[in-house]
Amino acid sequence: MAEIVAAMAMTHSPGLTGWFDRAPAHYQSQALRALGEMRDRLHAARPDAVVVFSNDHLLNWPINNTPEYTVGIGAEHVGPADWYDEWLALAKYRIPGHPSLARYLVSEGARRRLALAYLREMQFDDGVSVPMHYLNPAGSIPLVPVTMNCTVPPIPTPARAYEVGATLREMIEAYPGSERIAVVATGGLSHEPGGPRYFWVDEEFDLWFLEMLKKGDHRALLAECTLERMEAAGSGGTAELLAWVLVLAFTEGPADVLAYMPAIDWRTGTGMVIWNQLAGR
Amino acid sequence: MGSVDRCDKTLPLNEMIFYVRRDAGLRARWQSDLEGLAREFGLGAAEYEALRDKDVRRLHELGVHQYYVPQILRLFFGASANSNAHPALEAYRRAYPTEAAQAMKLQEELRRREA
Repeated sequence: MAEIVAAMAMTHSPGLTGWFDRAPAHYQSQALRALGEMRDRLHAARPDAVVVFSNDHLLNWPINNTPEYTVGIGAEHVGPADWYDEWLALAKYRIPGHPSLARYLVSEGARRRLALAYLREMQFDDGVSVPMHYLNPAGSIPLVPVTMNCTVPPIPTPARAYEVGATLREMIEAYPGSERIAVVATGGLSHEPGGPRYFWVDEEFDLWFLEMLKKGDHRALLAECTLERMEAAGSGGTAELLAWVLVLAFTEGPADVLAYMPAIDWRTGTGMVIWNQLAGR
Repeated sequence: MGSVDRCDKTLPLNEMIFYVRRDAGLRARWQSDLEGLAREFGLGAAEYEALRDKDVRRLHELGVHQYYVPQILRLFFGASANSNAHPALEAYRRAYPTEAAQAMKLQEELRRREA
């Protein structure tokens, strides 16, 4: 059976690569320090694959057909998509996939009544590209990308994301192999991409959310961190934290908050988190 | 719920942006023949005019998904259109002067606090 060996979460703001130096110098150093610690902890866990959960920014599916979840099942993942490389200021990268695990997730999900769409060739925006640039720069850890709908109404609820996370954890642990698997959530914190409050972040919400993670009380977080509250903190963007809530289901207890910056220059509340305790240990 | 709920998923412009972003040929047409491209994707007159005028508020009101609005500005102004110092900011200032002013005030406060 496979083993979950690490769980972490980070913002995937395009400013973290595309216009990094526009933010104050101490934000830059805080972010680099936190991202370095995430990278070290990820590699120290010696994962055979990293499953990355992130919203799809309306890149892989047209708006008339947006699956709740999509798994990239290719043998290799290439990004960023042409539309994003100049904007993210990233050269093209290639990361091996883990088709066996990815295809297992799709098929086993169906058996468990969890609909997971799939793509053999997934396109990558900031959601996967920014985290992989910092956490997996050499592409040495095989990647299974899982994109989520966090922005096209009806947006799923945090309770639903947590439920799916619990199912995925059970599925991964039941995977017939001895792989060590890391899970990474990307997105958030507060922001409203393209909305009337496009150039604004909600520091109060962000600090409250991170404090909830520090306390590690999942039930309380799910009761208080409603979709309505996320939307009030930045419509169509803050709900990217559904990926964090999904990964929360892989964990127990308090999270270490490595950094937080209300980085309007990067266009999001920006944070990095690692969980020390994994569920069921 | 929030402003993203104003999205009209059936609006032709929402479909058009999806395909234009993924296709270099369509992106070239955007620059050379926007009106013809809009016609082929079935945009109504109001959609085309809001697009041509880069009218952020009108695009929102018509039901363009709000994530696509800065992408539209990028198609007009280039990849740097998503930094805060670009015409994108000016377009949002025109559309939402109160919200933009609040955001800039917050940014100044944060800079003073952390200086």
